[in-house]
Amino acid sequence: MSAPRALGYAALALGLAAPFAGSPYGSARGRIDVDELAGVVARGEDHVEAIDLAQRIRARQPGLRVIDLRTNEELDGYAIPGAERHAIDALSRLHPAPGDTLVLVSQAGAHAAQAWVLLRALGWRQVYFLRGGMDEWRDEVMRPELAADADEHARRAFEVVADLSRYFGGAPGIGPARGDGGSGAPPGGERKGAVRPRRYGC
Amino acid sequence: MMPSDSPLVAFGIGIAFGVALERAGLAHAPTLAGQFYFTDFTVFKVMFSALVTAMLGAFWLSRLGVIELAAVHVPQTWLLPQVVGGLVFGLGFVVSGLCPGTGCAAAASGRLDGLSTVLGMFVGVLATGWAYPMLEPFLVRTAYGPLTLPQALGVPYGVVVCGVVVVALGAFRLVEWQERRT
Repeated sequence: MSAPRALGYAALALGLAAPFAGSPYGSARGRIDVDELAGVVARGEDHVEAIDLAQRIRARQPGLRVIDLRTNEELDGYAIPGAERHAIDALSRLHPAPGDTLVLVSQAGAHAAQAWVLLRALGWRQVYFLRGGMDEWRDEVMRPELAADADEHARRAFEVVADLSRYFGGAPGIGPARGDGGSGAPPGGERKGAVRPRRYGC
Repeated sequence: MMPSDSPLVAFGIGIAFGVALERAGLAHAPTLAGQFYFTDFTVFKVMFSALVTAMLGAFWLSRLGVIELAAVHVPQTWLLPQVVGGLVFGLGFVVSGLCPGTGCAAAASGRLDGLSTVLGMFVGVLATGWAYPMLEPFLVRTAYGPLTLPQALGVPYGVVVCGVVVVALGAFRLVEWQERRT
């Protein structure tokens, strides 16, 4: 028998046996230090906010990787530039390099928060999630609104956000008056009043 | 021990790959162009053999615990841009008779068509880089993440491996039969 034919039979044997060999991916088992994770959550060190994330992306933070966990059905036309799409049921196949900082993103934040727990259980520490998910990204970065009656201080602060929004192709605009004189600060800082308040995440 | 991502390791693998391409006759443009005219099936046989060998090796070595398949990087899928990119790539392949890998091997062998292909490749890379802001809205469309065949088809990994092997061996038989006829 010629060598190519022998190799062909060997390949056929290995190929026919493959369906009965099970998955080539080993199952990932993690451990959770409940007290440590609870402390991280209590200190708010588990998440980032949309404006903060946008600033990090614009500053091209080395090692920053945005992981988009949304399903195809959840895609709504908005995407974070440079984000990598990844299925939540394939999280254990996400292998960050040393120095990588992962920011997990889902539609409303809940899936990303769950994924954060799972990745921490696998021992990865430089992991965060976008608290309000893509809803927060859309409202705070792509379509930020300044209250019509915002004061001068709030307007100046809003310009910073508006500039960031335009960098990402967003459309900052003027929203309805809030009736409190617009005494707040911009998104990303102590923002209350000037920008319409929204409630995100879990 | 040298880290596996060392440039020296990459250089060694690249040289070995180039030598393999040259020895397989794939640095010779007429051989590659012959594939598109169905007069020479060397490219098909070499590439499909490599694909089946790598797939079986990755599957079984992972199953035996020798390598960790989960650590293998799977590139992102952007379906529509990649289909268009594949067509552009194929067009360049037919026109030059070489692809990037075989072009480099041909250039290293001193062939002028290889050198001009490599030069064209760099010009294309530069032009794409300059035009990127304009192209970006299209290039990020139809994103599917790091999609593998088992995920896309919704079947177990081993079934895909079996299917690809059967299709490859069947195609090899067909090609042999075609070559005997001509």
